[in-house]
Amino acid sequence: MAAFVKFWGTRGSIPTPASWTRVYGGNTSCVEVRFEDTLFICDAGSGIRELGKNLLTRKPRPNPLHLMISHTHWDHIQGFPYFEPAYLKAVQINVYGQHARDNNAYRVLSGQMSSDYFPVSFKDLGASIVADYLNDGEKKIAGVQVRSFPVNHPGGCFGYSFEKDGRKIVYATDNELEIQAGDFFPDEANAGPLRRVPDELVLAAQEADLVILDAQWDDKDYATRKTWGHSSCFSATDLAIRAKAKNLALFHHDPESTDLAVDQKTEACRQRAARFGSDLKIFAAREGVELKF
Amino acid sequence: METDSRKSQLNAAMTANARMLRRMLRQERGMRRHSLEQIEGDGTSSQVVLNQDEMVMGRGADTQIRLASKRASREHAFLRLQGTDCLLVDNDSQNGVFLNGFKVHSAVLRDGDVIQVADSVFVYHED
Repeated sequence: MAAFVKFWGTRGSIPTPASWTRVYGGNTSCVEVRFEDTLFICDAGSGIRELGKNLLTRKPRPNPLHLMISHTHWDHIQGFPYFEPAYLKAVQINVYGQHARDNNAYRVLSGQMSSDYFPVSFKDLGASIVADYLNDGEKKIAGVQVRSFPVNHPGGCFGYSFEKDGRKIVYATDNELEIQAGDFFPDEANAGPLRRVPDELVLAAQEADLVILDAQWDDKDYATRKTWGHSSCFSATDLAIRAKAKNLALFHHDPESTDLAVDQKTEACRQRAARFGSDLKIFAAREGVELKF
Repeated sequence: METDSRKSQLNAAMTANARMLRRMLRQERGMRRHSLEQIEGDGTSSQVVLNQDEMVMGRGADTQIRLASKRASREHAFLRLQGTDCLLVDNDSQNGVFLNGFKVHSAVLRDGDVIQVADSVFVYHED
């Protein structure tokens, strides 16, 4: 049984509609992960609006929808009020916390629809929106093993892995892979050794069919933005290589990155993986692209 | 009651918006031209204008974009016009579809994209 992944929003920080973001897209984080009719939505950035429109055309329409919010910064929740299925009575949306007492994502999604921000209140939405939860970061949902794990971002953030029938998809955005003392940085010539990365993340991404990783900047840009909670694409590449992942999607593109800059970042990462003899396949996450594993 | 009234107003607004959007897309679609230029494989440099709602690429005799390679499936992939975009969809083919060197199941195409299907390579143009 195959797993499908479709990118609906790949941009970080703020929606960036522009002629120079036309290829990779300007919508903020939203990724669909699907195993047969079981549909997970990773984050509700502005990309979720198009996903919602698309879902209305599907037959059969997946239901319930499982919404996994990495964290509640604006670019990961701002699309929810424009998610059309949320207005339909027949739809159920499960919003997951990390444990039984964690309803933070549900609470913030609701709060952003108070009348100061939006004309329709959360309680007036037609769908049944349920504050669900993982059992301390783990749950089997419709046969899919879902695990969450903490990543390094101001205010906290979680990555998710989805596994079923030997397919493994990992989503870990808004994660800063800090440069360890002694690691080669900045590696402007792309000639240094593999960087050290947290063992927990290597384990979470171990042998995944696809890892979707925060790779907002190259080394040069990261050098002036440490502690902002995002990674250099070289560090993301090194994590995927160490985890022996099969495919890496560079994700959460900087709002200042042009399509050309994203292409250059991707090519540099491919050269890096090749230099280490890795079979890792690397691409830049792009709106409207769907992968099958 | 007030809530019901607001909901019906909202639904009416959404329906009207959707109708207007469909009309605008029909108009804009008429102005946009999508085409494929073959740069490798049989029929090199041939240009195919994508002017039907759905066109099939493959080895089969009924396909609109015919591929000679034995590595191509009979109905290997579809090209569908959706709104103002062109969507490339792999038809669960044996050897897959590659977009700019990466295997995809489907993708909204952008000007300059390089598509590889079996032994044929195309460049997608949008103007």
